[in-house]
Amino acid sequence: MEEPDLIRSARFRQEREADWRRLEELVATAETQGLHRMNFEAARDLATLYRQATTSLAIAREISLDRALLEYLEALTARAYLSVYAPQERVGGLIQRFLVQGASQAIRRSWVFLLIGFLCMFLGGLTGYLLYFENASWFYVFIPSELAGGRGPAASTEHLRSVIYDEDPSSSGLGAFAAYLFSHNTRIAIFVFGLGAFICAPAILLTFYNGLILGAFLALHADRGLGWDLVGWLSVHGVTEISAICIACAGGVKLGAAVLFPGEMRRPDALQAAGRDAVKLALVAALMLLVAALLEGFARQLVQSLDARLFLGWGVGALWLIWFMLAGRRVQ
Amino acid sequence: MTKTRRTTITELRSIDELMSPEGVPLRFEVAGVGVRIGAQVTDLLLTVLAAFAVVVLLGYSGVDSPATLTAIAAMAFLFIRVPYYVLTELAWNGQTIGKRMMQIKVVANDGGPLTTYSLVVRNLMKEAEIFLPGTLLVTLNDKAQIESLIALAWIIAVFLVPILNKRRRRLGDLIAGTYVVHLPKPVLLSDLTQQTAPASEGTRNFVFLSHQLDHYGIYELQTLEKVLRAQDRRLSRRAAESRIAAEAKIVESIRKKIDYADPVPQEDHRRFLREFYNAQRGHLEQRQLFGDERADKFYKDELGSPARSDLER
Repeated sequence: MEEPDLIRSARFRQEREADWRRLEELVATAETQGLHRMNFEAARDLATLYRQATTSLAIAREISLDRALLEYLEALTARAYLSVYAPQERVGGLIQRFLVQGASQAIRRSWVFLLIGFLCMFLGGLTGYLLYFENASWFYVFIPSELAGGRGPAASTEHLRSVIYDEDPSSSGLGAFAAYLFSHNTRIAIFVFGLGAFICAPAILLTFYNGLILGAFLALHADRGLGWDLVGWLSVHGVTEISAICIACAGGVKLGAAVLFPGEMRRPDALQAAGRDAVKLALVAALMLLVAALLEGFARQLVQSLDARLFLGWGVGALWLIWFMLAGRRVQ
Repeated sequence: MTKTRRTTITELRSIDELMSPEGVPLRFEVAGVGVRIGAQVTDLLLTVLAAFAVVVLLGYSGVDSPATLTAIAAMAFLFIRVPYYVLTELAWNGQTIGKRMMQIKVVANDGGPLTTYSLVVRNLMKEAEIFLPGTLLVTLNDKAQIESLIALAWIIAVFLVPILNKRRRRLGDLIAGTYVVHLPKPVLLSDLTQQTAPASEGTRNFVFLSHQLDHYGIYELQTLEKVLRAQDRRLSRRAAESRIAAEAKIVESIRKKIDYADPVPQEDHRRFLREFYNAQRGHLEQRQLFGDERADKFYKDELGSPARSDLER
């Protein structure tokens, strides 16, 4: 029996309750099955009913004092909102878009920061190189003993040569790949990126320090006439890996710059805006470190001739460059 | 006194408003640190188990040096963990398996849909925030005390960030522009005004005059609503008796307050309360439509009081 003297908010509820129940069902299906698998009518109804429910909520907040109704509508619209505004992208498409456009565009957009990153590394290398020739004991200052692995000013030239051209099958393969991935340089790359977010300085200093190590190492070998051999040995994975560290540094510096110089924006907003490209740089760096680990684990011990090593290392480097420069350009 | 208690409850639950694209603000309960750690531990257990399975599999295939195996285990953990978080949150719209179990969810704080970018960022930052200092703390020996201290300080700082801000956002959330909320559960209770009280033959209806309804506000109305809803619950005999006594007390204080002259017999108490609720709600809703909103029975709190927005709910 219809009651004639229902108060306004009760009538309001009576008229719309069926729709809300239907929306509740649709939200439940959307949450369990996903929007992709809903048929056309259901998806359409979900969107329409959601908008009706938001209107109902806005009205109910004004006219109704029924706490149960208000709490229900709050929860229902919030729940429906979450499933209506779910991201609609497929994972495969995302990865493809990142590789084809996103990554290289981000690299090109942040060329200034990349320049800073590479400059830090280069200056560090130069300083390390010159300092070594000034006094060889600087080597011990820069390079932790576990990284040097017995190599140093005191080591014999024969020993240095044997490390570079060493055919030891047990140290290649998956084990070496995994061990490498958690080696010094990967950690450096993560730190360099992560620290950048706080302030630029740690990222720049770490990159510079990494350059110092590199420079001192190179100077040690150049001193013994093994300069080119070391370059070849390093090139196999180093071109990729050192670039990765520089790119990670660029990403970190980009974040740090957003904190230090936010411009017209508020700092959190600036950080968020800079994060878009910085994250892509970090992902590129991670990808490059992965490739470097593969090269280190499998290719370095297999390829023993200097020319082949140089060719392989710089060839891979050129491939990276081609990807960064050419991919994702818009046709004018 | 009642007012202060109410505000502390809302602070404890930490309700947050999020502006939907439709322009209607939606209210969510921000997920606390405890729930999120719970979800995190669940996810961690799952990924560690998966990594362990991979390592056991490889262990049978002939890799036996323990150093290599540790490195492979760490690698397997990393390669399972990073995609796990990003892909589950992408596929389930901001929920990992742990978050699904805890009924919490990531939302974007601008009210828009979650973007891939923000999900990738918040989970990559998790690496730098939690796992990196965590592994450092585990792997460092007692010789490297300074490094251990730095890692410890880092972890403490990282834990302080969500505690110190209102939406319990960690660093990754801050950069990604997201936060984590409880999933609200829509439960529609019946409308009290539509339940007709069992009126026996010959009983008269209670009539409330307009000036009698001018004494109470929204807070009292909704408290009465709570009392009436509790009536449907089954109780033990003693509890039922004390409820009857409480109802009698409520009826008496209402009668006194609104100057309701006729006495209400014991068996009519419930009907009286229901009808008073109906009349009071109709009256207050009417007043509210005309712009005369009344938060509670105290006159000074009527307009512009800070508690008003809480009470509109």
